[in-house]
Amino acid sequence: MILGGEKLEGKSVTEQVAEYLISHVSNSSIEKPIIKINEIFGIDMSITKHVLMLWIVSILVSLFVIIPIRKYLRQSTYNPSKTSSAIEAIVQFIRDSIVMPNVGPKWVNTWTPLVLTFFFFILFANGIGMIPIFDLLGVAKYSGLTDSAFLYSLTKGGATATGNFQVTAALATITFFAIIVAGTKAHGFIKHWKNLVPHGLAWPIYFLLIPIELMGMIVKPFALTMRLAANMTGGHIAILALLSLTAIFADKFQSTVAGVGVALISVPMATAISGLEIIVVLVQAYVFTLLTAVFIGMAINVHH
Amino acid sequence: MEPTTLLPIGLGLIVIGAGMGIGRFASAAAESIARQPEAADKITGAINLPLFLLEGVAILAEVFAFLMLVL
Repeated sequence: MILGGEKLEGKSVTEQVAEYLISHVSNSSIEKPIIKINEIFGIDMSITKHVLMLWIVSILVSLFVIIPIRKYLRQSTYNPSKTSSAIEAIVQFIRDSIVMPNVGPKWVNTWTPLVLTFFFFILFANGIGMIPIFDLLGVAKYSGLTDSAFLYSLTKGGATATGNFQVTAALATITFFAIIVAGTKAHGFIKHWKNLVPHGLAWPIYFLLIPIELMGMIVKPFALTMRLAANMTGGHIAILALLSLTAIFADKFQSTVAGVGVALISVPMATAISGLEIIVVLVQAYVFTLLTAVFIGMAINVHH
Repeated sequence: MEPTTLLPIGLGLIVIGAGMGIGRFASAAAESIARQPEAADKITGAINLPLFLLEGVAILAEVFAFLMLVL
């Protein structure tokens, strides 16, 4: 808490803790970004905390996935390195158990790259959010080594990029358009929209069915958004709230012993919930990928 | 009554609903694996998806409750 460094005099400890919690999981404010860029076409493109994390995740995914695979594909003999074998195992798992049963053998090679991109990106973005990198930079400031403002603004980094609702909404928008493109490629533009409702029903039912299906088209990516973002944010808030119990109890009883006693309980519990959070990271990446594949499959193989 | 007076009861109902649903899932899965141990992998694969969809519903409801508190 104190590594952040701002003076919060005159507020109770509970209020300070609440502010710290909210500022930790939400984006840095647009007025005080990490790097300020002037407006381009009226859109403020300053680098905030989550934008920086998005870039770091992209660079890491490129380093760990794209470059080894390119090197492996360029060889003439089958000689995979360890990274290539690991990535190959994951690719095979996703292609055979997520994409193939839903999409069918005709369209597997069209849609596997998109699903794989989703999986790797969300996995890396969720996972990097669990590593408290940037908070350690605050130690440099606190120990008096350096006093740069850039370093200070970086301590507010290290957030979960997919914890931001707008990032996951962007991913869900890609899913939304991928569903329409999949149906159009498989059946043609008009037939895809006609496939939304089952044929051969009495005509008054269509007045009820078409709005429901249209709403369903919007609600499914919306649920994808909220599921991923809320899971990530909720996990972090739970861990931070447990760790802040120390400060709150120490303030309430005005003694250090109470704080240390509560810390003896709350730190192991926070560790256990961090372990659970690692499982949630893997599972949420898997669920987003699976649901994308299922929705694309539903647009291709209409089975009313 | 303000909109936020019954919010704690609402949150409790969300947790009860999610807990009961996931509990029924787990018990049905455990029973069917006990009947047919060979199909354990398939059953696990089949309940994976609805389990996390249900958890997603619970989390969506909690996010809406939090929004009602804040707005």
